[in-house]
Amino acid sequence: MHLRDLPLVEASVPERATLLEAARTLAAAQTAAIAVLQGDGTVAGLFTDDDVLRGIFPAYVEDLHHTAFVEEVGQIVGSRLQESAGDPVTRYMRPPLVVELETSALHVAERFLHCPWGALAVVERGRFVGMLRQVDFVARLLRIV
Amino acid sequence: MTLLAVALFAGALAVVAFDWVHRTKAALVGAGAMVVLGVIDQQRAIAAIDWATLGLLVGMMILVGLTERTGVFTYLALRAAQLSGGRPIALVFVLAGVTGVMSAFLDNLTAILLVVPITLLLADVLGLPPVPLVLIEVIASNIGGTATLIGDPPNIMIGTHVAELTFLDFVVNLAPVSALTLLIVTAALAFAFRRQLVITPARSQAVLQLDAGRDVRGSKYVGRSVVVLVGTIVAFFLHSLLHIEPAVVALGGATVLLLVAGDDVEDALERVEWSTIFFFLGLFVMVGGLEERGVVGEVATFLGDVTDGSATAEALVLLWGAAAGSAVVDNIPFTAAMIPVVDELGEGEPFDDRNWWALALGACLGGNATPIAAAANVAAVGVLERSGIQVSFFRFVAVGLPVTLLSLGIASVFLLLVQV
Repeated sequence: MHLRDLPLVEASVPERATLLEAARTLAAAQTAAIAVLQGDGTVAGLFTDDDVLRGIFPAYVEDLHHTAFVEEVGQIVGSRLQESAGDPVTRYMRPPLVVELETSALHVAERFLHCPWGALAVVERGRFVGMLRQVDFVARLLRIV
Repeated sequence: MTLLAVALFAGALAVVAFDWVHRTKAALVGAGAMVVLGVIDQQRAIAAIDWATLGLLVGMMILVGLTERTGVFTYLALRAAQLSGGRPIALVFVLAGVTGVMSAFLDNLTAILLVVPITLLLADVLGLPPVPLVLIEVIASNIGGTATLIGDPPNIMIGTHVAELTFLDFVVNLAPVSALTLLIVTAALAFAFRRQLVITPARSQAVLQLDAGRDVRGSKYVGRSVVVLVGTIVAFFLHSLLHIEPAVVALGGATVLLLVAGDDVEDALERVEWSTIFFFLGLFVMVGGLEERGVVGEVATFLGDVTDGSATAEALVLLWGAAAGSAVVDNIPFTAAMIPVVDELGEGEPFDDRNWWALALGACLGGNATPIAAAANVAAVGVLERSGIQVSFFRFVAVGLPVTLLSLGIASVFLLLVQV
C-alpha cells in the first residue's frame, strides 16, 4: 500500500493565520487536524480540533474533571471567543506529527497509535502534501484484508 | 568540602527560587553533584532519603487521585458556594473554609488544584474578578495545611521525621492556632477585597440553580472511595494507638482503595506526581550532604549562641526565621534543611516539642509571603496564567506579606502563651 493511493486532504493554513481562520479551515476540511505551514511549505505545527476547544473555552476547563453540573455556558464561551478569535494560530498549534509519502503501512499504523488525534501530516522531501485521516487509512486497510 | 556542600545546596535553592530549570532537575543535579564530588558517599546518600515521607506522599496522592475521579470534591466545593446564598462575604468565608479543611486532610497543593479551577468557573458565572478569590484560597490552603501532619509538605517532613510527634499532637497543637488565624485572616481579606466582590441577584441565582450532585450521582465507586478516604483519616488520628506509622496508614489506605475501587492500577499510579517525589529525593540527599559536612551543626550552634540558651527566644527565632527562609526559597527545601538543625538544638536535652511547632508554623505560614514560597502558590498562579490572568510577584506579595506578618504575630502569641 502506498500513501499516494490514499485520499489526502489538502487542509492547511499559513503561520500568520488567526485562530478563527484556522478553526474554519479545520471545520470545512472535516479532518481532526490541519497543518500550519511555514513560507517554504514545510510543516510548522498541527492545529487540531482539541486546539479549537482550547480557543473557545476558558483554559481552566482543562483543569476541571467534573462539569456535568453546568447547563448553560453561552455567556462564558461568547466572551472567551471574542478575546481569542484574532490570536495567531501558532499560539495554539502543537508540534507536527508527520509521515513521509514513501513509507510503510506499519509505520503509519504505529504513528496513528501514538497520535492522540486521527490525522497525520504527509510530507514529501519535507514539503507538505496533505493530511491523512485515520478513517481513510483504516478503510483502505480493510479493503486489502 | 564544607564550602562545596553549602555552594551546591545554595545553588540548587537559587535555581528553584528563580525557576531557572524545573525544581526536580535542580534537586537531582544538586544531589548527584554532591555524590560525584564526594560531599557524601553513596551509602550515606541512600540512607539520607526519608522513605517514610515519600511513602506518605505517594499513598496520599493515590488516595486523593482515585477519590477525585468520583467528583466528590467538586460537589463539596459547589455545595459550599451555594450555601453562601450568593452573598460575597459569605462566599469568601465558605471558600476559605472549604479550602482550609481540604488542605488539612488532603494536603494544600491538592486542595488548590481541586478548588481553583472550580473557583474560576464560579467567578465567571457570578461575574466576579477571579484573582481575589484565588488569592484568598491560596492563603487559606497554607493556613489550613498547617493544622495537621498531612496538610503541608513541611509538616509531612517533620511528622515523619520526629517519631515522638503523632498526628493527634499536630491537631492538638496546631489546629486551634490555624483555625483562629484562618478566621482572622479571612475576615481581613474579605474587608480588603469588599469593593471588588459584588454579585448581582441574577448571577447569584445562576449559581444556586447549578445541580451540584449531577457528577457524583453518575460516578462509580463514590461510596467506597469516600469510606476508604475517611477511614484513612480516622486511622491517622489513631496511628499512635495502633502503633502504625503515618506512611503505612497512607499506603495502606491507598492499597485498600486500589483493591475496592481501582479498576486500572496503571491509571491509579499515574496520579502520583513523580516529579515531586524525585524532588524530595534529591533534596534529602543534599541535606544529608550538609549534615555530613557539619554545616547543620554549625547553624545549630549559631542559633544557640544567638538565643543565649533561652528556649522561648529559640522558638521565636525558628518561627520568624523559618517564615523568612520559606518566603525566599520555598518552604520544602528550607524545612528539609532545618529539620536536622532542630534535631541538633535538642541534642542531649529532654524531648521538647515547642521548636518543632515553631518550625512548622514558620514554614507553613511563611508559605503565604511570596508566590514562590509554597508549591500551592506556584500551582495557583500557574492555573491563573493558563487562563490568561497574570498575577505579578508584587501583586501577590502586596497581599501575601501582610497576611504572613499577621499570621506570624498570632503564632508568636500562641508560642509565648500556650506553648510554655
